[in-house]
Amino acid sequence: MPDQKEHGTAKLVEAELSESSLERDRKQLEKTWAHAHGILGWFMEVDHKVIGLRYIKTAFVFFLLGGIEAALMRIQLARPENHFVNPDTYNQLFTVHGTTMMFLFAVPMMTAMGIYFVPIMVGTRQVAFPRLNAYGYLVYLIGGLLLYTGFITNTGPDAGWFAYVPLSGPAYGVGKRVDIWAQMITFTEISGLVGAIVVIATTFKMRAPGMTLSRIPLFVWAQLVTSFMIIFAMPAVMLASGFLASDRLIDTHIFNPAEGGDAILYQHMFWFFGHPEVYIIFIPALGFISPIIVTFARRAIFGYTALVLSLVATGFIGFGLWVHHMFATPLPQLSQSFFTAASMMIAIPSGVQIFCWIATLWGSKLQLRTPLIFVLGFFFIFILGGLTGVMLASVPLDLQIHDTFFVVAHLHYVLIGGSVFPLFGAFHYWFPKWTGRMLSERLGQLNFWLMFVGFNLVFFPMHQLGLQGMPRRVYTYVPQTGWGNLNLIASIGAFILASGVLVFLINVFWARRAGVVAGNNPWGADTLEWSTSSPPPVYVWEYLPTVQGRYALWMQDEKTPVVVGLSTIKREILSTSVVDAIPELRFEVPGASIWPAAVAVATAVAFVIGIFTPWAFAVAAVLAFAALAGWFWSNADYENVNAHNPTEAFMKPTGQTKELQPKEA
Amino acid sequence: MSTRRVIDVSDLPHHGFDTIDPVWWGNNGLLCIETSMFMILIATYFYLRQNFLSWPPPLGQLTGPLDPLPDLLFGTTNTVVLLISLFGAVAVDIAARRNYRGVAQLGLVICLLFGVGAIILRAYEFPAVKFRWDANAYGSIVWFMLGMHLAHLLTLTLETFLLTIWCFVRDFDMKHRLDITALTIYWYWVVGIWLLLYSIIYWMPRLS
Repeated sequence: MPDQKEHGTAKLVEAELSESSLERDRKQLEKTWAHAHGILGWFMEVDHKVIGLRYIKTAFVFFLLGGIEAALMRIQLARPENHFVNPDTYNQLFTVHGTTMMFLFAVPMMTAMGIYFVPIMVGTRQVAFPRLNAYGYLVYLIGGLLLYTGFITNTGPDAGWFAYVPLSGPAYGVGKRVDIWAQMITFTEISGLVGAIVVIATTFKMRAPGMTLSRIPLFVWAQLVTSFMIIFAMPAVMLASGFLASDRLIDTHIFNPAEGGDAILYQHMFWFFGHPEVYIIFIPALGFISPIIVTFARRAIFGYTALVLSLVATGFIGFGLWVHHMFATPLPQLSQSFFTAASMMIAIPSGVQIFCWIATLWGSKLQLRTPLIFVLGFFFIFILGGLTGVMLASVPLDLQIHDTFFVVAHLHYVLIGGSVFPLFGAFHYWFPKWTGRMLSERLGQLNFWLMFVGFNLVFFPMHQLGLQGMPRRVYTYVPQTGWGNLNLIASIGAFILASGVLVFLINVFWARRAGVVAGNNPWGADTLEWSTSSPPPVYVWEYLPTVQGRYALWMQDEKTPVVVGLSTIKREILSTSVVDAIPELRFEVPGASIWPAAVAVATAVAFVIGIFTPWAFAVAAVLAFAALAGWFWSNADYENVNAHNPTEAFMKPTGQTKELQPKEA
Repeated sequence: MSTRRVIDVSDLPHHGFDTIDPVWWGNNGLLCIETSMFMILIATYFYLRQNFLSWPPPLGQLTGPLDPLPDLLFGTTNTVVLLISLFGAVAVDIAARRNYRGVAQLGLVICLLFGVGAIILRAYEFPAVKFRWDANAYGSIVWFMLGMHLAHLLTLTLETFLLTIWCFVRDFDMKHRLDITALTIYWYWVVGIWLLLYSIIYWMPRLS
């Protein structure tokens, strides 16, 4: 039984591969990796490319919804004493806007890009745990639907996206609004954590032979660092929202000062997650920037090692900053000084990266295509946001402008500049890979300039508004404050920004029908995803690739071997060693299954019905066990059915093979 | 027909123990998440303690026991039970690696019994805290610590249950031997976290 074999090695051989065997293997692979069909099939699908695109589309819909909420707020604030929305609706608008953008758009979008591209960039056919991955998406979707079900039934959370106690506690946060927020957190964090595990295992164990740790594309490094940050940061917010929900539902007193609980504790727990969260959104965006710069500067990146170390350093320092969100609370001065120092220190690795990118761009023959223009826009906006970040790290200044529009300006400069601009660059860059067609360059540039001008018009005046004392989260203001003109400019800017996003949508719909056909590698880029067709077939490559250096496709020649010997009738992928990527296992990944959806339903029972009664958790535990048992037994089956199949087909070379010595490789 | 260099991997095995197998990384990644969770839970415990003059707070009742410290009996018994269960887990671990089906079956059954025992004992630990979850912040956080660990005991025992059935009714194949080693890592982790929680919940207030 092949299943019991514990040892064996990979051999480098010279072989003859015939067209006919290639054709036969291709047909078999298509059958083996085929998608699930039908409505039930939608819930069963595990292909990371399908799941990744679903994630991206869903997160983009939430981005649009969050944007609409922002536009409504800007209409309300456009002139003093406006009555476009009432204060209660306004509270829900800014809370749902922030929650959507952070939890339903930014983090899932970054996870999604990783889920789609990490496996392809490291040269494999599927993520390490496809069913877990499918579960992660469904849980995320349920969380998003929960929030919006609440919002459209006038039960949208209204205590701000970080839901500070006591405002969100049982005494002031009446009704079920905050509970919906707290449980939505649980759903999105589960999906984020699951995605992190999938990315880490895929990066460490599924890389193409030859892709040692020092040859991993910078995109993948960024995803890896982010995944580790997720593992250590997200449990804090799950626990905080869990405590909050239980304080509200079963009268625990974790955050209740009257019974020895602590309101500041909530802020600590939230920001211990919340600050790394900023980097969880920002670091993957750095991972978009590097490949875009390499591709359009047409040269190797300057300072690969420095860039990787900066990513890792950002990951570590990102955990030492959270208290700078809490400078307005009574904290010991010593700790304030420490967090000021750390907040300034994080500018160092960010600076190193920016200089490495500038050095790469310097003197190269730049191709000013839309993706690169978005990256250049990132430089401008993000550096401005970084500068106000250094300002806010200083305690006296922070105390003065805490909870004013200055902070709103700063956070949008770093998040939109640091994350959304690179993301739109990434959309333009990878759209051909997803669809096989190019986005229009002309519309792309229009899109950029509308967004760039609009963005600065909205948010730059907010710095001044903050300095003039306009607090955030007020639904209106009186004319005597003199804030009217700047607010009007900001509101006009919001609609220019929105029109930029509209141009993007038009571009997408146009390109899907009439865009130029892209081919495998329209940009002449170096990473592995460009070596397969656009969009990639279900099995991605007929023969898994191997890698000779950091720039996989640029360093490929006729001597670069491919991988043969994987089964074509099973979903087999190659597992390699963590550091040197030496082939170790033929690892079989599971196919489509309904059980992840069943576990997602059990999760939903726990956290949706758990808003109303704690008994939901008992019921859900039973459901979850039943579903997990089904998952366990079905997992067992896919492998055993195949293991007993005597006619195991391999992608094997035909004719004579000659074994090569390792030094010839 | 063209000649080219290929890496032939058809001789490679399907599974390997420990870091060789992706399953090890998935399993340990999840345990990292849970470890972060418990570390933050423990930090919360110490943070809340700053708000109390005495920890645990006085019972404040006229009848019944006066000593607010948690009773040692059930917690300590549970610690002993979990420590003994480690022998079963180690035996299962070794048996899975060396392909001793009988030893693995026996060890799994022992683990299962100890797991059930620990869950039953845990039910008695909650009243031994002497404060309900809704009495004060002390009661809340201790109930949370016991409860979250209970959730892991339940998950662990149910996972053991599934693998035990598998080992009796189906093949003792490489994939499931690997699953068993992952289960034993989980087992060590649950016991290890409990030793930490036990010393904090039961002994920290006594020694300080």
